[in-house]
Amino acid sequence: MESQSEKSNGLLGGVRVLDVGEGVSGPYAARTLAWLGADVVKVESAEGDLSRRMGPFPDGVPHPEKSALFLALNAGKRGVALDLDSVEGRCRFLNLAADAQIVVDNHAPGWLDERGIGYEDLTAVRDDVILCQITPFGDWGPYAEYDAGDLSLFQMSANAHGILGPVEDPNSEPAIRAGGYQAEQVAGMAAATSTLTALFAARMSGRGCHIVVSAFEAMATQAIAGLSNIAFGGESPTRNLAEVREASIGGQVSAIGGVLPCSDGFVAISPREDAQWARWLELMGNPDWSEDPKFATRDARQKNAGELWLLLSEWTSQRSKQDIAREGQRRRIPCFPVNTVKDLMTDPHLEDRRFFVPIEHPVAGELRYPGVPYKLSETNLPLGRLPAPTLGQHNDEVLP
Amino acid sequence: MKQLPLHGVRVADFSWIIAGPTATRHLALMGAEAIKVGSARRPDPSTRGSAFHVYNQSKKYAALNLSQRRGRELALDLVAQCDVVVENYAAGVFERLGLGYEVLSKVRPDLVMIASSGTGHTGPDRDYVAYGSLLQHYTGWNSISGYPDSEPIKGGLWADPWVGMELAMITVAALNHRLVAGKGQYVDYSMAEALSASLPEALLDFQMNGNEPVPMGNRDRNFAPHGVYRCAGDDRWIAVEVHTTEQWRGLCGVIGRADMSADSDLDTPEGREAREDELDRAISDWTSEIEDAEAFQILQNAGVPCGLSLDMGRLSADPQLNEGGYLREIEYPDGSERVLPTLPWRFDGRADLQLGPAPELGRDSAYVYSELLGLGDGEIESLVEERVIY
Repeated sequence: MESQSEKSNGLLGGVRVLDVGEGVSGPYAARTLAWLGADVVKVESAEGDLSRRMGPFPDGVPHPEKSALFLALNAGKRGVALDLDSVEGRCRFLNLAADAQIVVDNHAPGWLDERGIGYEDLTAVRDDVILCQITPFGDWGPYAEYDAGDLSLFQMSANAHGILGPVEDPNSEPAIRAGGYQAEQVAGMAAATSTLTALFAARMSGRGCHIVVSAFEAMATQAIAGLSNIAFGGESPTRNLAEVREASIGGQVSAIGGVLPCSDGFVAISPREDAQWARWLELMGNPDWSEDPKFATRDARQKNAGELWLLLSEWTSQRSKQDIAREGQRRRIPCFPVNTVKDLMTDPHLEDRRFFVPIEHPVAGELRYPGVPYKLSETNLPLGRLPAPTLGQHNDEVLP
Repeated sequence: MKQLPLHGVRVADFSWIIAGPTATRHLALMGAEAIKVGSARRPDPSTRGSAFHVYNQSKKYAALNLSQRRGRELALDLVAQCDVVVENYAAGVFERLGLGYEVLSKVRPDLVMIASSGTGHTGPDRDYVAYGSLLQHYTGWNSISGYPDSEPIKGGLWADPWVGMELAMITVAALNHRLVAGKGQYVDYSMAEALSASLPEALLDFQMNGNEPVPMGNRDRNFAPHGVYRCAGDDRWIAVEVHTTEQWRGLCGVIGRADMSADSDLDTPEGREAREDELDRAISDWTSEIEDAEAFQILQNAGVPCGLSLDMGRLSADPQLNEGGYLREIEYPDGSERVLPTLPWRFDGRADLQLGPAPELGRDSAYVYSELLGLGDGEIESLVEERVIY
């Protein structure tokens, strides 16, 4: 029988991480490690992490301890405030670094070196250290000196082109990014993946390493299918609606599927295979129009998608999204309610899987945080359930 | 001698289509021996497209028919020699084949097993039939993308590649745990939860204020200006985002608007946001006269974060990706070469990536059955005849 303490150590028990970065990508990577059981210490300046000023805030009133973004990205960590521009601050940081196997940063390339806490300095106090630096474009290639945030990363990596789908006039409607900071999170995920791989290698070989992550390449890695297509002679997907042959599941209905209005929102359906389509018709009570050859095959349905949309909408708009999804799924039809944020907070399936984690914060109060998408047989995650640190909260406890 | 970071890790990859293979692709590129297992009886649907070559690069590929009892026995023999199993069938399928974690961990007690599905392997909706693009609607993503009051769009990044990288991450995390604790792990992964987890600020905002997210196109709640601006040429645009006052001054210099730079009302993000339409027009006046690549250089040299709005073809021709070593030439057995993506990080002081072409079904059957499992030639022949190795 394994002891509770072993189970509560998580996957990364005993691993100390210094989270030097700010904003989204670096803190996201470090929080991923924290929730897997690492002992993460967040190092902030007296001004505090940029995301403390980013919100959203309760009632829209900025407060450094109440930013939703900051609270979410920094839960599970302890925090210290240090002036890394001072000799004393640098000294205290290096003392801390001697006990840390991992350091994560997402400042501009060179930021750490300028402060005398770059990879060489870190290896001087701990020879097996792993430094993971997240950069916009890497420290190699023609864009090494360039800067980019979430919007630019979305647009440069061709991912923005797929979000809105094709438009009527590509010269008046630009491609759009997703809301939130998904590109930054992808960069953070790349950092967590490479860092844990380096930790595994270090445990096998006794040697640490310096990792540089390119956020641009991390976003290009979200587009590997498209890049492979091009490599094998394919064409770029068009942004021009008039040139589209088969749409994906966007706002409009195609033979692949689509989003339909309901009495209380929308439902997304995809009865793309003939058998699925037959079951969908059965769900609708096999309406008379369904025998029309215009809708008999996937190709025919694609050709007459506009007309089909109206017929389907007429039926779905009289029913609730949950009813349609439940009855559809009972017939093995791929269909899901289009959930709002409120729907997610009360979803019985997520509740059953304990996806949301209640965390009490001394200033911001108790909130339910989205947890991790993995459940492990040997470990209850996320661990710790520490709230994000208030600025400098653990200076006395952590700093030597 | 420099070794690849995952040297010595062997993965039995029973996954198919996109998310699972993307995870094992990451592991293979970093040095793991990833053995894809599949059958002509039910071929991996992604075999039909060219993306198969990137989902499965650097792997081995053995044929094995799991619908036969003997096929399932061989699967157990293979798993006994592997560190990791990855599968992404609908919840329950692998268990019904007799290959659940309880069985596999008997033949390999320290096994790390990754099971990924649309909504996870527990909970009332675990059997929901899912496609990644439907999950993007289900998980709140479409409420954050698009324009206010517009019809819902799919929203967010494509689910599968996102999930693929996170699956690789949790695999390596579990391998770390195994090194220290000597124990394996079963990982039940929900694609839907992965997507919802990326909306933390929206989920907290709802609790704090009752707000549902309002999609903002290319704008941002924290920064302004923040948009995508028309350049000279057909469907040519540039993204410009200003995060600091210094960047704002740089932008004003580039677009020749000293008046705006001197306007103290515009020194804060709030001040700029209040006049965002006006700023957007001023930026467009400059960008619309110039080609996007030139605007990109000029703005970057002035310290303004910006990016080209690229389509897939232009992305694959991008100088940074090509000269920087992300896109690499992969040699195929017929002597042809394809330029394919690799990984978005560099390990300084470690060996390079394990690079190889995606295999064809059965290419490595001889290696697996003869070398790893030690079967004789006669037995292998009859297994082929009986369509077990198939």
